[in-house]
Amino acid sequence: MADRVLMKEKNMEDVTAKSRVGVVVVKILTYVFLIIMAVIVLFPFYWMINSSLKTLEEYRWSVPSFWPQTVMFKNYLEAFTTASLGRLFVNTMIVGVVSTILSLIITVLSAFAFARLEFKGKNILFAGLLATMMIPGELFTITNYGTVTTFGWINTYTVLIVPFLVSVFYIYLLRQNFLQIPNELYLAAKVDGTSDLKYLWTVMIPLSLPTLISITILKMMGAWNSYIWPRLVANDEAHRLITNGLRNAFTATTGDVNYPVQMAAVALVSFPLFLVYIFLRKYIMKGVSRSGIKG
Amino acid sequence: MVESKQQWKAWLYLSPAIVLLLIFTVWPIINTVRMAFLNGYSGLAAVGGESFSFGIDNFKKVIEYKRFITCLKNTCVLCFVTVPLSTILALLVSVALNSIKPFQKVLQTIFFLPYVTNSIAIGMVFAAMFNIVGSAFGTPNQIIVTAGIVNNVIEFFGGTAVNWINSGSTHLANMTVMIIYIVWNALPFKILILLGGMQSINKQYYDAARVDGSTRRRIFARITVPLLSPMIAYVVITGFIGGFKEYTSIVGIFGADMGPAGAKGSMNTMVGFIYDALSSNSQGRASAAALILFGIILIATLINLWVSKKRVHY
Amino acid sequence: MKVVLENLTKIFPSRNKKSNEEVVAVNNFSFEIPDGKLVGLLGPSGCGKSTTLYMICGLQKLSGGKIYFGEDDVTDLPPEHRGVGLVFQNYALYPHMTVKQNILYPLQNLKGADKLSKEEMLSRTEEVARLVQIDGLLDRKPSEMSGGQQQRVAIARALVKMPRVLLLDEPLSNLDARLRLQTREEIRRIQKETGITTVFVTHDQEEAMSISDIIVVMKKGIIQQIDEPQKVYDDPANLFVAKFLGTPPINVFEGEVKEGMLFLGDDPVMRVSSVADQPVWVGIRPEGFILDENGPLHCSLEGVEVMGRDVSVVSEHAASQNPVVRSIISAESHIDTASPVIRYSLKPNKVFLFHKETEERLL
Repeated sequence: MADRVLMKEKNMEDVTAKSRVGVVVVKILTYVFLIIMAVIVLFPFYWMINSSLKTLEEYRWSVPSFWPQTVMFKNYLEAFTTASLGRLFVNTMIVGVVSTILSLIITVLSAFAFARLEFKGKNILFAGLLATMMIPGELFTITNYGTVTTFGWINTYTVLIVPFLVSVFYIYLLRQNFLQIPNELYLAAKVDGTSDLKYLWTVMIPLSLPTLISITILKMMGAWNSYIWPRLVANDEAHRLITNGLRNAFTATTGDVNYPVQMAAVALVSFPLFLVYIFLRKYIMKGVSRSGIKG
Repeated sequence: MVESKQQWKAWLYLSPAIVLLLIFTVWPIINTVRMAFLNGYSGLAAVGGESFSFGIDNFKKVIEYKRFITCLKNTCVLCFVTVPLSTILALLVSVALNSIKPFQKVLQTIFFLPYVTNSIAIGMVFAAMFNIVGSAFGTPNQIIVTAGIVNNVIEFFGGTAVNWINSGSTHLANMTVMIIYIVWNALPFKILILLGGMQSINKQYYDAARVDGSTRRRIFARITVPLLSPMIAYVVITGFIGGFKEYTSIVGIFGADMGPAGAKGSMNTMVGFIYDALSSNSQGRASAAALILFGIILIATLINLWVSKKRVHY
Repeated sequence: MKVVLENLTKIFPSRNKKSNEEVVAVNNFSFEIPDGKLVGLLGPSGCGKSTTLYMICGLQKLSGGKIYFGEDDVTDLPPEHRGVGLVFQNYALYPHMTVKQNILYPLQNLKGADKLSKEEMLSRTEEVARLVQIDGLLDRKPSEMSGGQQQRVAIARALVKMPRVLLLDEPLSNLDARLRLQTREEIRRIQKETGITTVFVTHDQEEAMSISDIIVVMKKGIIQQIDEPQKVYDDPANLFVAKFLGTPPINVFEGEVKEGMLFLGDDPVMRVSSVADQPVWVGIRPEGFILDENGPLHCSLEGVEVMGRDVSVVSEHAASQNPVVRSIISAESHIDTASPVIRYSLKPNKVFLFHKETEERLL
């Protein structure tokens, strides 16, 4: 009897030893897989920076070098002037900042009305707004192009800012956030004689700051990355935005182009985004995981 | 007091949003339908005083276009290949990420990085990686200077270089590059959502399964995937919606010509078709194409919802 | 400041569009709150007590009736012009502000002639913080405080405007049992010290009994009884009030008066000469039972629960409307737990008779 128990225990030990080896193997394979995937994800960025620092000669080596022999920071200078990135940066910042501020004001006011005020037709209006989110943006563009032409807005900052000020999704997002703030805070403020706007400013906005920051970042990134609409309606020197300018300055993607300079330009356009990502990652991820909308 | 004042206040606060939405969202919806059903409608001609008869010519014309068929085909191929591929890859990465502790945060940060990029700019990087510098591919009297890093890697492992995106490249090669780029681009969002979903699954389910002696594979198939199914449905649906609207990533790699040198427009998509029609002032045709696109997206979404209703375990 | 409520009525329109049923939350509520008193509005949830409080406060519009603070008609005044302080059940402290900022906030809203200088605001804040004894915690955030401390901050915020009337909505229900006891003493003390007319709402009869000067018992929007706590307990106006007050709850029996004798089942328990012959509801407070070997009330003994000074005897009786009959008797009295039957005689002032249909008090 005692022997058999012992046997059983030994078997158990065998099994645990085996499964322990299995666990380690699985762990190693998991890490190997993740590292390979991470390399694939990171490689284009590495190659962009590597190429941007090479001379054109070195770039054309048939056996590529994985680190530039002579580091050519000059490429960045050349890229900056070739694509007149300075002007593009300024244009993009103007459009980004103005549209973000206006958009935030509109979003906050609308979300407040939907979250805290009672009025006739509220639910129908809100459902109607949500329904417009299903329609692809291209469908709006066709008419909007005509509309802004009629308004005489072609090649102005206005045309880059106004048509996209209202984002139904951000209104929705912020409304949800406002709804989480207990109604008693609003009633308490009413008893204290706080006006709606003061309450919004001193209580609701501070309490929904993370969401507002997420919206701000995504909106700014939107301006930075927008391509189709700006190309259509504001493709002149004075108002061109960065993505469009980049594409215009380097029309050829294949053949014998000056890749190091092109990659330097691409890197210059990408760096601000990386900086934002590094410092405000939390807000971006939070905003994105709730929206699923790029830019 | 508190109650009665709110009526006009609410409308006051909503007024900027409503005015803008009326002009830039509601009117376009009505107008697009109107233009789509006015035969041969053109904005320029309309300003000139021309009138248009009511009919479905625009739709007929769009479908008869050979270019449209190319665009539709490209869009569908990209959609039906990249969405399943990126979803499966994202699922694998998420499961792997969820099972480790050290370096989880670092790897998570890395995997999300492509999201925060400009798809035109990084498209140019991908183009550079696949590009062959120095010659038209295959003409023997010209020297290939660099075959591009991707071909270098292929050759390093003993393969032969492929003409990916240069003049004379095959459609298959072009598509492969696009698929790689689009999947690369689509992964971060899907990983974010799926990983978030997995982390919110109650640990007790796993403990219970472990006590029951379930194997890893069984746990994955019987617990993780079913509990994650709402998130999977979500990324698949948004993936399809985004996939049918694919455009900028192709501009990133091939430029505004939407194809390799010598095969202009061969990689064009539905959205590209709409913009082409718009820039040639054929608003009627553009509207018809936009409505077709909307119809396709709607049907795809409904099918997705129908399938997920049967499969998703809420 | 006395508060007069005159025919206060609140009707909520029906939520369901198809049926036109309206909900009458408060029905013709008239009551004068004397100056400087602490009044508890008591009732089960849904009885309209919170609605009444919100109407006094001004957050709910009246469907009918008038409200006066002193001689002023405040019926149509918005809350900020009524001079009321309101403390919410969940305190409603602004989570992103410190205690000091929370208390200062109402003062910063004062306009025109009422506007205070910065120094005045600060000194008022410190004064009220001392009053509720949180003067050491002014720089904390609400999340860094205990429930009881948050409660004090909420009271301080309501008091800092020097309101004419202080309103408390379920002030103790979010606290644990020990803190509840402590905080209710505290509310009593603060109210006494400031002398502000105070109305508070609660569903907890013990809470209402322990600190109110006057209790208003409500049911379905209608006042059942207004009186001092002890009077409400000793002299309930109807069966609802009798059942609602007291722990353990009152024992209710189905009884009958026959020729001046009250019968519970077959037991003739008490002479009631003033009540005509009729079937009645009989309420007996747990402390109204006296152990008596020759007592008229026969119950079958179920068990004894020792509660320290007293014991609670659990028994059964055929006419009892409660699942068990519970009596409280002194621990010194001897109970033969082996005996299947226990006999009681009754204290007449702890026995109430109610009309079978109207449930109004008969005796």
